[in-house]
Amino acid sequence: MMNGTRVVRDRQDGGRVRRPTLAALAAVTFAAGVGLVLAVAAGRVEGAREAVAEAEARMAAALWEEEGGGADAVAGLLGDRASILGTNAGGAGPGAYAYQAGALEPAAWIAVAPRGAGSASTAFPATATAIALAGLALIAGWAGVRRHAPAHSRYPAGIALLSVGCIAVTVFAAERWADRELGALSTARVGQGARAVELVLATGADPARAARVAHLPWVEDGALESPDDQWTMPAEVATAIVASLERGAGGLAALSPDLPSATPAFTPYTVEAEGATWHAARTADIHLAFLGYERTASPALTLAGGGTLAALLVTLVLHLVQLSARPRALRRTLAAWGLLAPAAALILAFTLGPLLFSLWISLHEWRLIDPAPLFLGFDNYAGLLVDGEWWSAIGNTALFTLHVPAAMAVALALALLTRGSRRALRWARLALFLPAITSVAAIAVVWKWLLSDQYGLLNRVLERAGLESVPWLNSPDTALASLMVIGIWMVVGYQMVGFQAGRLVRRGPGRRRGAVAALPPYHAARPAPHPVLRARYVDHRILPGLRPRLRDDRGRPAGGHRCRRLPHLPGGVGVPAVRQRGRDELAAVRRRVRRHLAAFPLPRYAPRPWLTAPAHPGSRAGCCSPRRASSWRRPSCGWG
Amino acid sequence: MASPFLWMGLTSLMGQLEVFSGGGILPRAPRWANYPEALTVQPFGRYFLNSLVFATAVAAGQVATSATAGYAFARIDFPGRDRLFMLFLSTMMVPAVVVLIPRFLVIDALDWIDTYQGLISTELVSVWGIFLMRQYFRTVPRELEDAARVDGAGHLRIFWSVALPLAKPAVATLALFAFVDAWKNLLWPLLVTRSMEMRVVEVGIAAFHSTYEINWPYQMAAGVAAVLPIALLFLFTQRYFVRGIQLEGIR
Repeated sequence: MMNGTRVVRDRQDGGRVRRPTLAALAAVTFAAGVGLVLAVAAGRVEGAREAVAEAEARMAAALWEEEGGGADAVAGLLGDRASILGTNAGGAGPGAYAYQAGALEPAAWIAVAPRGAGSASTAFPATATAIALAGLALIAGWAGVRRHAPAHSRYPAGIALLSVGCIAVTVFAAERWADRELGALSTARVGQGARAVELVLATGADPARAARVAHLPWVEDGALESPDDQWTMPAEVATAIVASLERGAGGLAALSPDLPSATPAFTPYTVEAEGATWHAARTADIHLAFLGYERTASPALTLAGGGTLAALLVTLVLHLVQLSARPRALRRTLAAWGLLAPAAALILAFTLGPLLFSLWISLHEWRLIDPAPLFLGFDNYAGLLVDGEWWSAIGNTALFTLHVPAAMAVALALALLTRGSRRALRWARLALFLPAITSVAAIAVVWKWLLSDQYGLLNRVLERAGLESVPWLNSPDTALASLMVIGIWMVVGYQMVGFQAGRLVRRGPGRRRGAVAALPPYHAARPAPHPVLRARYVDHRILPGLRPRLRDDRGRPAGGHRCRRLPHLPGGVGVPAVRQRGRDELAAVRRRVRRHLAAFPLPRYAPRPWLTAPAHPGSRAGCCSPRRASSWRRPSCGWG
Repeated sequence: MASPFLWMGLTSLMGQLEVFSGGGILPRAPRWANYPEALTVQPFGRYFLNSLVFATAVAAGQVATSATAGYAFARIDFPGRDRLFMLFLSTMMVPAVVVLIPRFLVIDALDWIDTYQGLISTELVSVWGIFLMRQYFRTVPRELEDAARVDGAGHLRIFWSVALPLAKPAVATLALFAFVDAWKNLLWPLLVTRSMEMRVVEVGIAAFHSTYEINWPYQMAAGVAAVLPIALLFLFTQRYFVRGIQLEGIR
């Protein structure tokens, strides 16, 4: 205000925030969001690069083994990117162990430098960066244009929308770039596979053996039924490959520039099959196919995810910025976030995250040979619907849950039977609760032994009684029922205590008292700070608030005149005694609260004016009325 | 109800063949040697130590995360509080098995398989605990908080110096439940630990069962040894368990 900068005034607190600050913060958030998006895309490409290098190393190792330790073949396949090292170099970076024929210990470690590492293609995509810069410029311009807008405009919402839009576009661009890179890498992967097959075929090995070197699904030329092998191509893909070759429209995709191009038979191309793009390559008489390193979910999904994330991030920061106009609310929010942070982070990392992850997995097919899971949509769920085992599992689960109401009935009966304070009953309660807390494995073992077919206690008893023994856990007829009985046995203790604690079934006297501890929530809205001295505050404000909440040991109101009904007490304790006890209890609470407040450290700064008695003529110190004290800035009004 | 425990104790004192002889229920001559033998054929000392470390760390962690989060939910008024709380609560409805595999993958990605941190970290927060602490903090009279605020205390100060000391009973309850639940936990330690040195008692009992399938007295002795510490703990802290169920009613 003073220096001419326009400010946004806040309605509640009258705090202020400078618009350029708002814009700067939004820009920083936006830049962070864009950086995150680009880093994720670059990370995926980098991961695929390493996966390709790993695969190449495995191929090189297999070649090395085929040749019986030939460094030439490895060099022929990978050029100077591969180096054959001693086994003690193993494990660092992409690479694979190579074994001599029949040996158990590896003989060498073949390390492979990832394709294109450190080259210009690792740099962030220029388009995405340009979009990010354009977004920043837009925000800055917007801030400049809107500088003279009236207060309480839709300014923050506008910035948020703008940022989210820019981030969404960046996500799109980054994904496009990543897709291109991943496509090239996939072509390179399958091309290298074909090359490796060529090299092995050249040594006179049979095609099946050669194809194994490539670690890729394969099919022999013209034969849909390839031999029973570890890396057999899915039939649909093989059909698609053959069909596309027959059409002559193989769509010979552009060769990746850094592939060795000397082999005439080797032609990488792409084929659509099973709803995904397969990268295929042909050697003399073998086709290899590979589900590429590609985004497998639909782009809309990624966009939606990225957009939501960006929106959350931007709103979060804007929210904070807006709150900064109200210092008290900001402090409160920050304190809450700080206190919530550990729990929230752990829940996010180990519950919500995994939950979303399993949702994601459930929409995909994950094969061992493909690095990228195949997006299936709801096929897995559809599969469940026609799976008989699934339905029988659902039925069994539904049946099994019936043990809960059964257990509740048993627990109610037991709760009624074991209420009271006699020693025997206390021990009975302990015995009943014990199964609920003991180790599951021990319980499982003991029940297995109890219900064992021939020697179990139950069957022995049955035999003694002249009945036939029953294979409790080993027969489909009785297994579920047995498990339900065990389930009831395990949970009945909790439910029994629940019934007794919920006062549906009262426990006898003897529970320890905790006056403050048993207070119910207290919701009365009162003005927060009070201009009263501490002791007076306790007497006038805290204790009257506590009095109706003091309970005797049976949950009834206690404390002087509030005690309407007499708790049943043994030994003929009369009314006065009960009242006295209530008063004692109240006095104890009063002492506790005072002690607590006395122990509470006073702030270091000088006492506030209203903490000293007002030097107002005619004021009576003992007579302050807290209800009228809210206008403490004017002492003449609240005192006397 | 206690008969399985009785049967467990009695069998643990029988001879290995006596069990199958079809004789009486009482052991003919108590064979106390079952205990030292059963507990030394596998490193049960180490298992108990691991269980103790695991359960203690989990209890401490849950108390820390639940008390802070519970206080924030109960006492601080911030935007989005109730929605966030509902989100937290909704995770209670998820069966543990659903997130088991992804959790394992996360721990595997962190390279924490077969380590204490892998064992402990996923269990450090309990929504049930947050709920319990929240319910308890809501019963702490607002007047106390106001009195502290009069003295110039902020939220963190009030939490630490006023609310937390008053919530000691709830903290004790939560710590006990967390400890017992961690001690009882079989599935997660089974999944995350591989070596014998990292096994907890529960996994030890399960592994023992598959190794000494025929030797029931040994298994029962190991079982008694596993049940005993928790039973003793419960014997002296019953009150807090009852209070926990009182406060909740949703377990």
